[in-house]
Amino acid sequence: MVATAINIHLRNMNKIDFTACPECDLLLNLAAPEVGDKAHCPRCGYLMQRPRKQSIERTFALSLAGLILMFPANLMPLVGIKMLGNTKDGTLWSGVVALFEEHLWGVAILVFLSSILFPLLNIILSLLISAHLYFKKPNRHLAHWMRWLQHMDEWAMLEVYMLGIIVACVKLASTSELKFGFGLYAFVALLIVTGMLASSLDKVLFWRQIGQLRK
Amino acid sequence: MKLKKTALAQGFIRCHDCGCLSKQSNNNKLCPLCGGQLHPRLPNSFQRTAALLLSAFCLYIPANIFPIMTVTRLGVGEPHTIIGGIIALINGGMVPIALLVLVASILVPLLKLLGISLLLLNIHYRWQSHTRKWTIMYRIIAFVGRWSMLDIFMISILVSLVDMGGVAQVIAGPAATAFAAVVVLTMFAAKNFDPRLIWDNQH
Repeated sequence: MVATAINIHLRNMNKIDFTACPECDLLLNLAAPEVGDKAHCPRCGYLMQRPRKQSIERTFALSLAGLILMFPANLMPLVGIKMLGNTKDGTLWSGVVALFEEHLWGVAILVFLSSILFPLLNIILSLLISAHLYFKKPNRHLAHWMRWLQHMDEWAMLEVYMLGIIVACVKLASTSELKFGFGLYAFVALLIVTGMLASSLDKVLFWRQIGQLRK
Repeated sequence: MKLKKTALAQGFIRCHDCGCLSKQSNNNKLCPLCGGQLHPRLPNSFQRTAALLLSAFCLYIPANIFPIMTVTRLGVGEPHTIIGGIIALINGGMVPIALLVLVASILVPLLKLLGISLLLLNIHYRWQSHTRKWTIMYRIIAFVGRWSMLDIFMISILVSLVDMGGVAQVIAGPAATAFAAVVVLTMFAAKNFDPRLIWDNQH
């Protein structure tokens, strides 16, 4: 489904029934795609909206699951190695600490933010927003939370971290014995949950609901 | 008549955060729905992107020259640059992983730097053709940026796991900071770039 472009004069409009493409600023009629449909900008092809079935309920449930999985994924060992009789376990946090001890505090902070803090905040904010929308409770911070969530989105890099684990394991496999901890399974589960969370959260719907709660 | 169709040309401003349209006037600087700052285009998009890009270009040099990590085995240290690490992987017979690292830590940052430069040139010289393709390129650049962090995460895992004193140790090198800075700076550059400027220049 394609949102239709409009070309009429809008001099005396009071109520705005239009929207604009965020990437090419084409003025468009508000499209209301059905679940399973997608609305694209006709000029630049930007994906305007992709409604999901029970977006709010699913976001609520998935962020709750994600919050629970955060604990084992962060606290339990992801991978352990055995090399010449020595064993060592690695968690998300131990990587940050090791970088900090080598005085690479800039890199350590970046790793901490993108693999621990932002994923956690992402899930907490999704949970807070979807819970408020689910129970239809107005809150004056909803718009702020939603804005933070959108800005933080690309800085939570759990899936990239997963790839980092795989590459590190391949590098270590020839010289040492690898042991996968329970934390890794929780981490993979968390990855799946956050992926589903990102696709079930319909931003257009969320903003519309936040706007309605305000009135 | 193409120009007429943009929301700005019709007197509307789209909120960057919530996407709500509001009428352009002198007194509303805040979005009526979410309370965010309203700008017709990202403020100083060209200048900010250019500044961030330039810093990223400068840091790209130390990121590739200096060792990103030093692997010590039985007291013998062996510094690796980014390219050296890839060559070591190929020599070890792990070609698919070597390709993955090559794409994530050499090709993506380099193509991103060049791509954003081209986008800036596009805006500055008001290139008129393939507007849609340029927008798609912008989208790809904005999407792939985060995957360059792969190398940084891998180092963080190796540094914490391989820490056995004299037997075996991995120490992160100065290039790690420079490389991380390149990734962050190019991500910010892509975020500050406003693709609507490409469309604004079309007549």
